[in-house]
Amino acid sequence: MKSKINGKNGEKLLFKLLRLRIGQQIINERYKKGDFKPPIHLAFGHEAVALAVSEAMTANDQLILSHRNIHYNLARSSSLKKEIDEYLLSPDGLGGGQLGSMNLACAEHGVPYTSSILGNNLPVSAGFALAQNQKKQDGVLFVVTGDGAMEEGSFYESIVFMKTFKLPVVIVVEDNGWSLATRIPERRSNIDVAGMATALGATSCSVAGNDIHACVELFAVAREEARKTVGPVVVTTSVTTFGYWTMVNDDHPKGKFINYHAGPAKTISIDDGPIIEKNDEDPLYRLECEIGTTHFAGVSERVRTALEEELS
Amino acid sequence: MTYIQRLNSQIKKTLAEHPDTVVFGQNVGTGSCLSGLTRGIEHETGVTVLNTPNAENTLVGVGFGMMMGGVNSIYFMKQIDFLLLGLDHLVNTYNFVRLKNPEASFTIVPVIVDNGYQGLQSSFNSFGDICSIARIDGFTVTNGYDIDKIIGQKLVAPGFRIIAPSQRLFGSELYDPESVTGHGPDYEWFHYQSGNDVLVICFNYTLPQGLSLVETMESKGLSASLAGVNRQTPAGWGALIDEARRVRKVIILDDTKSVNRLSNDFLASLYVVDNNVSVLNIGRDFNTDWLKPQKDELEIDADAILKYIGTVFTEKYL
Repeated sequence: MKSKINGKNGEKLLFKLLRLRIGQQIINERYKKGDFKPPIHLAFGHEAVALAVSEAMTANDQLILSHRNIHYNLARSSSLKKEIDEYLLSPDGLGGGQLGSMNLACAEHGVPYTSSILGNNLPVSAGFALAQNQKKQDGVLFVVTGDGAMEEGSFYESIVFMKTFKLPVVIVVEDNGWSLATRIPERRSNIDVAGMATALGATSCSVAGNDIHACVELFAVAREEARKTVGPVVVTTSVTTFGYWTMVNDDHPKGKFINYHAGPAKTISIDDGPIIEKNDEDPLYRLECEIGTTHFAGVSERVRTALEEELS
Repeated sequence: MTYIQRLNSQIKKTLAEHPDTVVFGQNVGTGSCLSGLTRGIEHETGVTVLNTPNAENTLVGVGFGMMMGGVNSIYFMKQIDFLLLGLDHLVNTYNFVRLKNPEASFTIVPVIVDNGYQGLQSSFNSFGDICSIARIDGFTVTNGYDIDKIIGQKLVAPGFRIIAPSQRLFGSELYDPESVTGHGPDYEWFHYQSGNDVLVICFNYTLPQGLSLVETMESKGLSASLAGVNRQTPAGWGALIDEARRVRKVIILDDTKSVNRLSNDFLASLYVVDNNVSVLNIGRDFNTDWLKPQKDELEIDADAILKYIGTVFTEKYL
């Protein structure tokens, strides 16, 4: 495979992606030790989507997040220390120690609002977009939701509202197939997101969330589409949330698969390196395959050193 | 002039001073414009008017989003029952908003459908409960004086609040005092007239009943003091408690359907400082008639009240 990670920009992208993964691993190690009280929803496996959204944003754009926001906040801010300080509820934290994890936002970095309530952030993002229109400001709103939150009525209501009032919004649906410990087929019928978006007059597209190149390309296009058509664009991204584990007990002597939702990811260790799964589901593994083990290891080492120096 | 005409007039007057405001909601600029509540706003004030889809949950969130985005807005709502669909934002989004303390204004103006005969739904008259869940500033408007003050000073002002008119009063002739004896520092309550024999305090939307009762009392030679409480969550009662202690005899009128009556908070505050004030507490207890189309109004038996005053109150204090 010919590597797309070449040149200065490619190296920067690799560095940033590794920063999101290793930054989370550092947080996870401290989380496992019991350093943090607020419940953190780690996002191992979601990093490429967050980085691509952040890369697509321009100066006037804003990003509205949900309870699983660590990857976006790390991508938007330049400080792992501030993220950790927030989880320690320190005044030096990204949210001044007032927001904790599930509502972590920082307007200074283009993230003015984050909600821990499923579906809550979609109407609020419409309000931000309407405010931008009213003030005649040029900018696109990105709002992150999931395959669980999109079941809420506000998903439908918000798309209708955004389309009605011509609001440039990119709705990012992170589809990991789970809501808490329930798979999609266990809780609902299939939702044809593209068909639904089309029916409401919105644009829709999808992208593999483990492919950083595809994500970067698609979110730039989606942003432009939202700006050009002045309406909502729904982007569905398939991702795998790592940190799952197998529960063995009398009821399940052969073990039962438990999806990771929140809390420390006990099966993930920073000592094992930044790659969590040696398969195509892991966006970092895909990159390692692309650029070669030696190059990947070298950049990984540089990222980890840089982050440890920041924290020291 | 009717109540709805005065409301509409004061809303337009206030909005003309804030032309950068976005007014939104279902039917706000079409049809009857919510029975005249928002009539003429679009063409007479310069504000932006958006007729929206029927999506109450989303519309409440949109208002908070605009507020955080630095734009003033007002969401007019045909009936407060619909606001139940937006409770998530009233609690969760509002908690985020007030931590950040944005300078823009967001006001929801839902109509209390208390005109009766709506049936078992569309007759939610527990405004205070909605305010209580997140300690939201909520105000009733019942007459010309409080409309001028509350709409004039709170409709567009930094922060969030709910101001709710009463549909029962829409077509009624306006009670329009030129002045009042006093009011709470944030217009939590208004003291309309002073008297020495009995103090009538009207909670929620009972000012018309209170006015009628006072008129009957005065025709019998009694001197009545009259106050109305507009705020929906506990306030600094201060001067109202002083007035109750001065007069020594209090009649409470409260037509909320909630079990959580704000009048009980007033009485608790009063009893902390003086438990010898005599009180007649008139409110509503749940009954299954509420589930049928009926006249949805707290009825006051003035003769029974006068008889009560003539016995219990008189024996103790007159």
